[in-house]
Formats: sequence, C-alpha cells, structure tokens
Amino acid sequence: MKAQVPKNPIFFVKTVNTLVADGDPIIYPKILYNNQDYNQVDHEVELAFIISQNCKNIQAEHGYEYIEGYTIFLDITARKMQISDRNINLPWYRSKNFDSFGPIGPRIVNFNGIEDPHNLNIQLKINGEIRQQSNTKHMIFKIPEILEYLSKFITLSPGDIVATGTPSGVGPIQPEDIIEASIEKIGTITHKVILEE
Amino acid sequence: MKIGTETINPTKIICIGTNYMDHIEETGLDVPREPVLFPKTLNCLISNNDPIIYPKFLYNQRKYNRVDYEVELAFIVKDKCKHIPKNEAYNHILGYTVFNDVTARKMQAKDIVSKLPWFRSKSFDTFGPIGPRIVDTDEIKDPHNLNINLKLNGEIKQSSNTKHLLFKIPELLEYISTILTLEPGDIIATGTPSGIGPMQPGDLIEATIEKIGTLVNNVVMEGE
Repeated sequence: MKAQVPKNPIFFVKTVNTLVADGDPIIYPKILYNNQDYNQVDHEVELAFIISQNCKNIQAEHGYEYIEGYTIFLDITARKMQISDRNINLPWYRSKNFDSFGPIGPRIVNFNGIEDPHNLNIQLKINGEIRQQSNTKHMIFKIPEILEYLSKFITLSPGDIVATGTPSGVGPIQPEDIIEASIEKIGTITHKVILEE
Repeated sequence: MKIGTETINPTKIICIGTNYMDHIEETGLDVPREPVLFPKTLNCLISNNDPIIYPKFLYNQRKYNRVDYEVELAFIVKDKCKHIPKNEAYNHILGYTVFNDVTARKMQAKDIVSKLPWFRSKSFDTFGPIGPRIVDTDEIKDPHNLNINLKLNGEIKQSSNTKHLLFKIPELLEYISTILTLEPGDIIATGTPSGIGPMQPGDLIEATIEKIGTLVNNVVMEGE
C-alpha cells in the first residue's frame, strides 16, 4: 500500500461492535467472501493505549497522565472494500467495522509497567509464520503527540481505545487461519478466523 | 442521554452520506449505488437548547474556518439486531428524532480530496445536536413523507421532504445490519437535503421535522 507521509495523524473510527476478546473468533463475513470485488480481509497488528480519564486539549508533555495502559489491537480491514471506497472518495467506515474486526487484549499493562512504549517489538504470525515484524520506535507520531492532536477534536473518556497504526507486512487472512499478534511486555492475542455461517 | 422523556444509551452513531438527490446535486458527488456510511462518535451528542461549540482551532485557520449545519431525520434502534430483512425493519426501530450533523466543511472537503477518512471533520464535541424528543413508530407510520427544514436566525436555509430520501429507512437498516450488529439506542441519521451552509458564533439554529418538533441550538465560540 502506497500512501504519503501524513503531516498530521490520520484518524478513523472503529465502532464498539468490532471488539472481541483474546481467544474469540474473527468472523469472516459472507458478503465479503462471496464477492470477488471484496474478498480480501487483512490483519493489522497495532499497539493501543487506553484512556484513564476525561480529557480535552491535552498538551503532549502531559500525555502520559491520561493513559491507563497499553494493549494489543488488531485492526481487521476489508481491504478491497477499503480501496474501492477510497478510490471514489468515500469514508473508510464500512470496511473497518464488521463485527469482530477489532480483537483486543490479552491484558492491559499499566503505563507504569512500560516505561517507554516506543521501544517494543511488535509482530504478527499467521499459522505460526511471521507476517509483520517491527518495533514501536518506528511510529511516525508518538503517543503523546497523538493524544495532543486527537484531544483537540474530541473529549476522550475513560476506557476509550486509541490504536496507533500498523507496521508493514499487512496481508490477507483466510477462514481457518490462526492469528497470533504479539507485543513485547504485553503478550499475545490468538484468534481463529472462521467463515460466517 | 435523555431525549425528551426517553433515555437512550447509544453505542454508536451511523450517518448516511449523500442520501437526498437535491443534496447530491449541490455537492457534485456521485449518486451512490449502496448507502454511504460514516460514524460520528458519542462525544458529539448534545441536547435541545445546548450550545454548539465552534472550535477555536477551526475558527482561527482560514483553511478550516467553515462549520455547517445539516438537518437530518434520525431513527433510534430498538433492540440488538443483525441481518434484518427490510420488511422487518420497523420492528427494530424505537422511534424518530431530529439530528443536526454539524460538519467542519472545509476540513471535510480537504480530507475527501486527499482520500482520507471523514472522522475529524464530523466529530468535534457538540457536533451532534439531537432531539427534542423521540416519536415512536406508532405515531409516525410513514417516515418518508415528513417536511424537514432548518432555519438560521429565523431564515429558512434547508427545506425538503423525507420522501426525497434515496435509500429509505428499511433499506438502510437492512444494509447496515449486514455489516454490523446494532444495539438498543444506536442512532442512525439518514442524510441531509440541499441548502447546507455555514454557521457563525452567535447564530441560532432551528431544525424542524414535521410531527417531531424543533431542535434549537445556538452557536458559541469555544472558550466564551
């Protein structure tokens, strides 16, 4: 995927219907699977942080005061649908928000437990084979900057989830695949992909 | 949140883009083959008579200093539902209300041409006034024959009828519920007719839909 280096962080929304816990299946929607225009669903492993309190207009230097902790997030994406929507200048919503397209876990590591969230190995395996491997030091916008920018727009509330973006190596998943997403000091989430009945 | 006498606990707001032919013509966008969905986050919700806050961050930048009103008919989901056929749609609707999809227009236009998501321009705090009440489906048997208008400082800026909706409510519910599970209280805004335009701090916005009522909000500058 070729995209320009952004000047500001780019935000999009996943709604709460996407959330599933460690061990839960990722449901591959039939309307994607049976449609040649849409039959690609991709994995994207990401470091996510959880908001600890209501906040608005936060300065980057105070960013960590508003973070409860860190976890792993999988931004599952209907890639062909996303590309087709983007090509005609449509929003990114539907391709990102099928039920179960937001696995999260396996635990929240308190912000005290991770001194530097920008030096963590991050990887994703499909059926035991590494597909994404990077380190959070390669993030363009660091967590405090993301929080500063985002909180200019909206009030964040306790429990809100902010996912920080995925490294290279995104690619398709298929029904029956086992996805393991890991971040150093946090752990691993494991999900089986199953075709919607 | 409370809308009139009812309390709802929405988990999401889904808006439909370009769903009135007259609005499609004024925006120059293509006629969609499927409903165009985008989200607004819950931080944007405010009630009847609450102020719409004009963000300083937008006001002070020439490239972003336009914030628009968009009056819309919204429906509220009654129960948890997925894969609803359109002929059963009304069984899953609690009722109807008025929604104002306030939009940072220059920011949205810029993001659209860059093929970026529409999130930031749509979801500033207070950019989702809703109310003044929820009218249930027994009272409004046909939601596709309601006059809809919006006044800015007493002057009519938008005036249409919900019969001009391109995708009707049952089709919208069927389509959305093929993608995701809806929950009780979820808000679906069905799109705006033509006449969208900018608001300024100090303006009074009155958004009215026949049989529902008028949602009144004034615009105030952030920090004042």
